[in-house]
Amino acid sequence: MAAPGTPPIIATVGPDGSLMAPLRLFYPYDRTVGAVIGRFLTSLAAKKIEGTRGVDASVHVPPLEFDPATGVALTEWVAVGDTGLVLTWSWQPEPFADNTLQQPFAWALILLDGADTPMLHAVRVASVSEMSTGMRVRAVWAAEPTPSITAIMCFEPESAHG
Amino acid sequence: MALHRCAVVGVGQTHHTSCRGDVSIAGLVREAVDRALLDANMTLADIDAIVIGKAPDMLEGVMMPELWLTDSLAASGKPLFRVHTAGSVGGSTAIVAAQHVMSGLHKRVLTIAFEKQSDGNAMWALSVPLPFSMPVHAGAGGYFSPIVRSYIRRSGAPSHIGAMVAVKDRTNALKNPYAHLHEDHWTLEKAMESPMLWDPIRFVETCPSSDGAIALVLASEDVADKMPGKKAWVHSTAMRSEPTMFAGRNQVSPRAGEMCAEDVFRKAGITDPLKQIDAVEMYVPFSWFEPMWLENLGFAPKDQGWRFVEDGVTEMTGALPVNASGGVLSSNPIGASGMLRFGEAALQVMGKAGEHQIDGARTALGHAYGGGSQFFAMWVVGSEKN
Repeated sequence: MAAPGTPPIIATVGPDGSLMAPLRLFYPYDRTVGAVIGRFLTSLAAKKIEGTRGVDASVHVPPLEFDPATGVALTEWVAVGDTGLVLTWSWQPEPFADNTLQQPFAWALILLDGADTPMLHAVRVASVSEMSTGMRVRAVWAAEPTPSITAIMCFEPESAHG
Repeated sequence: MALHRCAVVGVGQTHHTSCRGDVSIAGLVREAVDRALLDANMTLADIDAIVIGKAPDMLEGVMMPELWLTDSLAASGKPLFRVHTAGSVGGSTAIVAAQHVMSGLHKRVLTIAFEKQSDGNAMWALSVPLPFSMPVHAGAGGYFSPIVRSYIRRSGAPSHIGAMVAVKDRTNALKNPYAHLHEDHWTLEKAMESPMLWDPIRFVETCPSSDGAIALVLASEDVADKMPGKKAWVHSTAMRSEPTMFAGRNQVSPRAGEMCAEDVFRKAGITDPLKQIDAVEMYVPFSWFEPMWLENLGFAPKDQGWRFVEDGVTEMTGALPVNASGGVLSSNPIGASGMLRFGEAALQVMGKAGEHQIDGARTALGHAYGGGSQFFAMWVVGSEKN
């Protein structure tokens, strides 16, 4: 037997005479995120970005459940800004179908104002020449934010907002 | 080379249930860890090395979760070792952790096993249709039911034996606050009417799908001697494996299981297991495996295991109590289930099993098996030093 919905296996003969058949791993998974990532995502839906404070006072965004050095459960929440600094970036000339931006864009590690760890997100610019390390960016919120990282549709250069 | 002594000095487990939606995998694991450390009066900073196990990654779809769990275990800069032996992994993991101490390498070792079955679908993860092969089973029950039928045919066991084991284990679970299933309505008559899932395995004779974790703190002799309270001394450990399929394989009583039991008893100086073992925590995911393992482990003569069940030998009040905790039949966080057997055996000889304590238990066996009855892990623990 196979999981409901599994397509039938049909063997084929390849050009070199080899007998081939697909092996499809197909079954459902669910994900539960727990209280910490749960709060982070829920806050995003309310257009707020929050992190947790580590034992050494560093603010981790996205939040960590446990301190990376000591393992202490982190419970202090810190609201950070929706503006920040591009620490490094990489250009994506051809977006994939599931990217929130359907034009060429940059992936960037963004250090939000008030945070001590950078967060990966997309930056929308007209062309690659507008991207630079150290540039300032601001979050562009989705029209109807859901509890997901895509509640932030992308970031844009802060200067674009005047 | 002489082995150093090793003791279980802390045991912690979660309340096992069908879905722990309130925690991440890291949070679930940490709950058990915090309880074990509290029991051992230690903190994460005291731990020298960590050994972690879970059933195949495919069950939750998280590859190498031990890397993700580093922060929650404060494992940065410490040895972190992952063990893989399918359903027996909880037992194998505890054994590898014990070896970290017995080798003299480490003094305080934390060992953890877990499963968050609600994040995945073990039934179908274990039933991948393979090209060019006949798809013959659905889930573990589909795999094991022909083996159970074979046992019944060989031994002449009456059909109510599986139901008797199920009623015993579900009733024992009422005394274990951590057990997943707390069902107080089972009688033999009702169990016999339970729907047939995989003939001859009835619904009540099947383990649940659980989220849960267990952690143990193991310590060297010098560390354990300085600690107040009772310890469970690890008298012996053994592991054996054999392939899933080979001509002439005895799937009802695998040779690897027999050899593993012989080895673990020999190393613990046990010559008459039935007399010398006071409590057994045995991996019984389908109730018929209790009589089958009684024979495989050498407690009962061939084809006579079911008579032990029928005569009440394995009841909490019997001569050889099996699964006083309620066993796998009452809680099955797969990867954790083997270590739960090992940890419950330890609790029995520490005198800390609470309402399901077997009075005067001094020597106990923890048993785990996995895969297609092919991976075996066992330990004997005692209230006194070996």
